[in-house]
Amino acid sequence: MLNSSVRRILAILAAIVLPAAALAEVPRIPVLVPVTGYLSLEGTAQRNGAIMALEADASVTFEVSDTGTSPEVAVTAMRRALRNTDVGVIVGPILGTQMLAMLPLAEEYQVPLVTISGTAQLTEMGNPWIFRFFPGDAVTKIAHARYVAEDVGAKRPAILYQSTAYGQSGHARLVEAFAALGIAPVYEESLDVATKDMTATLAKAMAAGPDVLVLHLHSGPTALVVRQARAQGIDIPIVAGSAMHQPSTAALLEPAELKGVCAESGSSPISGGSPEMEKFAADYRVKFGNEPDAFALAQYDAARMLLAARHAGATGGAPLRDWLAGNAFEGLAMTYKSDGKGNMAHDAVIVCYDGESRVPRIVRRYQGVDGGR
Amino acid sequence: MSGRLTRWLARDINAPVFVLALVLALWTVSSGDPYGLRLMTLAGIYALATIGYQFVFGHAGALSLAQGCFFGIGAYVAGMLALNPGVGVETTLPAATLAATVLAALVALPVLRLHSHYFALATLGIGQAVLLLAVNWVSVTGGANGIAGVPSASLLGIPLGRGWPMLLLVWTLVAAAALAARRLTGGWAGPALTLMREQPQAAEAAGIDIGRLRLGGFLLSAGFAGLAGALQLHTIRVVSPEVLEFPVMVSVLTIAVVGGRTSVAGAILGAVLLVHLPEWFRPLQEYYLLAYGVALMLCVAIAPSGLAGAALSLRRRLWTEPSPPLPAPMPVPVAAAPACLEVHGLTRHFGGVAAVDGIDLVVTPGEALGIVGANGSGKSTLLNLIAGAERPDAGSIAWGGRRVHRLSPDRIARAGIARTFQAIKLADGLSALDNVAAGDWRGRDLTRARGAATALLARLGIADIAWQPCGELPPGIRRHVEIARALIARPSLLLLDEPAAGLGAAERETLGSLLMDLHGDGMTLIVVEHDLDFLRRVAGRLVCLSGGRIVADGTPDTVVRHPAVVASWLGSPGAAGGADG
Repeated sequence: MLNSSVRRILAILAAIVLPAAALAEVPRIPVLVPVTGYLSLEGTAQRNGAIMALEADASVTFEVSDTGTSPEVAVTAMRRALRNTDVGVIVGPILGTQMLAMLPLAEEYQVPLVTISGTAQLTEMGNPWIFRFFPGDAVTKIAHARYVAEDVGAKRPAILYQSTAYGQSGHARLVEAFAALGIAPVYEESLDVATKDMTATLAKAMAAGPDVLVLHLHSGPTALVVRQARAQGIDIPIVAGSAMHQPSTAALLEPAELKGVCAESGSSPISGGSPEMEKFAADYRVKFGNEPDAFALAQYDAARMLLAARHAGATGGAPLRDWLAGNAFEGLAMTYKSDGKGNMAHDAVIVCYDGESRVPRIVRRYQGVDGGR
Repeated sequence: MSGRLTRWLARDINAPVFVLALVLALWTVSSGDPYGLRLMTLAGIYALATIGYQFVFGHAGALSLAQGCFFGIGAYVAGMLALNPGVGVETTLPAATLAATVLAALVALPVLRLHSHYFALATLGIGQAVLLLAVNWVSVTGGANGIAGVPSASLLGIPLGRGWPMLLLVWTLVAAAALAARRLTGGWAGPALTLMREQPQAAEAAGIDIGRLRLGGFLLSAGFAGLAGALQLHTIRVVSPEVLEFPVMVSVLTIAVVGGRTSVAGAILGAVLLVHLPEWFRPLQEYYLLAYGVALMLCVAIAPSGLAGAALSLRRRLWTEPSPPLPAPMPVPVAAAPACLEVHGLTRHFGGVAAVDGIDLVVTPGEALGIVGANGSGKSTLLNLIAGAERPDAGSIAWGGRRVHRLSPDRIARAGIARTFQAIKLADGLSALDNVAAGDWRGRDLTRARGAATALLARLGIADIAWQPCGELPPGIRRHVEIARALIARPSLLLLDEPAAGLGAAERETLGSLLMDLHGDGMTLIVVEHDLDFLRRVAGRLVCLSGGRIVADGTPDTVVRHPAVVASWLGSPGAAGGADG
């Protein structure tokens, strides 16, 4: 019996020497996600969600590859995956610029790309091979703005957003959504992901006299802004982007600091809501040793829809594309159905923390926000 | 033709590199899958960027952290142009190259004045500024999303696919870049660049305009990076701010270090290895980056001079070759016309200390002047001021009636003033012959320069060590090599800073004879030295400095008996008296 180290070395040698196709006996679904770099938290959640679904079905195998945060690495990973002739679909990364680089290859090879990236541009380029299972900015930012206006009752939002594709895309949608509600932000600033000291930004924002802080930042910066705002005694409501719903973000803050903080999201698996959702969260905790978030759940639902398509006879390529484009799927988070552009998710939720625990409560659900279902 | 190929293969590591290239080409052709083609295309792109980077980092010895920025600029310019229908690589590639070069030229003026870590930080700052511009100038750059939907590349209207056509285009450009690099850094430029990298002060004193060479290296590195960035754009057909971030710069720097700082073959080897290495480790899943890092550390630990350097030293260890024959000696033309050196009121302070304090001195053509004085009396500072290595706070220096005290050291050297240093400054990795040849700034022809160097080494009686690396030579020989380098510039004034320091009696004797010969040829000498016997032999006039002032001036016998000199050397109070006429 070979020990695990020897088996691993043999696997490496085999991967180098043999064409990958020769190793594959059952169809393989490449899971190309960023498990290193500044999106590793989200990418790991994405990977875990895919694994949860795909491991449960013996008719497929899967292979996880890290895409880092560079489009170049993502394209190389996709090329590597496409060496297998039986690749009928690819799970693509959450990072929008990587997905943009992968889209031309998907079209060239006629392979559907399934992602949870929120970058609006992805489904606006007329590429029929992209399917997005996380509500895009067109959904979540409308919900975000509506909650701020209708439930918080704020009229003077200050917006802090990230200087990344995610941040710029979301900011543009937020401003549009606020404008549609007759609200003009009193302050807007983009923040670099490397910025650690938010005190000057918060001071400038507060000088503009806002009645709510609206955040559209990645996980780490969101936690920093919330913590530093509370430390400065800023007690106006904070309504953040989906990063704030992530248990890994909440874990960076004390429950007291989270009081009055809300966030938009596609879902919130740890908030429960149904026996199936609670089972998913419990299984996830057992398997990965941490809490699931909406990204994990969206990727789980997406992989399950792929398996459903497979069992319906659409194993890959154009048949799978057509099946995904033409069928609805009842997932744990929501019902998924394409709007004709590949946007499959059309619902959003708002969660809020009560200041006593790190488990948020779903306070508002927005269904079919973009009218795409 | 076959003879030339055989000779080429026999040189350095050409044979193993040629075999490796053949194996890689055959492997790529036989596998032929798009993934393998992509990796080789990517390796070619990074090889191109690294060949460019070697100009500034390797040859000029300046740690630029802007190579990733120039790469990104190339990608953005190519992306913007390629969005327009009908615009092919015949437009995008030159435009990207030009744009990166123009940006480099714009920032060169302030940036190239800086050295060491200041230069590195300034170039890093350029990259950050361009990155911020790319993220925030949304209407032009597409913001953080960048520019997507770039059509397939075409050449003169003929579509180029991603696979073989792009691979061939990239590697054709790599081959052209390799030839260009070889041409630009070969010949006389080779030893001159090495001297500049290892001993910049000596290079300037030898008449080499290191500012111009650094500028050329910076512009070339930017141009090559821009070209590589444009090729990367055409392979992935999107460009986003990630291309301007630090990982691209780190990749190019790592390739240069792992492959070899100055070897084109090293750049190519390094690029092929670094692009493939993480892919080979992919089956290790989450540990693949750890394995990649360990592999890189091993590479650097085992081959600190890079893969090319390691291969070359291995080859030399396995196949000991006799030194090539010495080049035929070529006559060193006569020195420039003798001139008069006039120093008036020369002053130089270091903080509150006056190292040179209002010195007036005239050295007539053909004179041999010795300068003595205790440590810290200002002798070396005076020499540095005359040679242009220091700028005076006050006073003037005229050479042949022309004011030279504001000129750079290389311009002073080209005006006919050469020097040696108190601490010998030679490029240890270069042979003695090439250390001397590097100083022949006039001809810029290596064959001629080596011929003249051979003649000078023979005159100094050290022609037998001509091919030995200077790092392996004893101090006395090294001193002679440094003098030979000064002489190859055909100076009419030679400044020698403690030339007899560290030499044995026999070596002093030889050196003394040489200086007397040079003086006999009509060359003006200024010799700073502590050995009074040595100076009595070679100098017809002595000047003694104390506290930055001249305290005695006259014949050697007069000066050594002068009370102020005696007091100065013995450290008695009241030593710094007035000058003796």
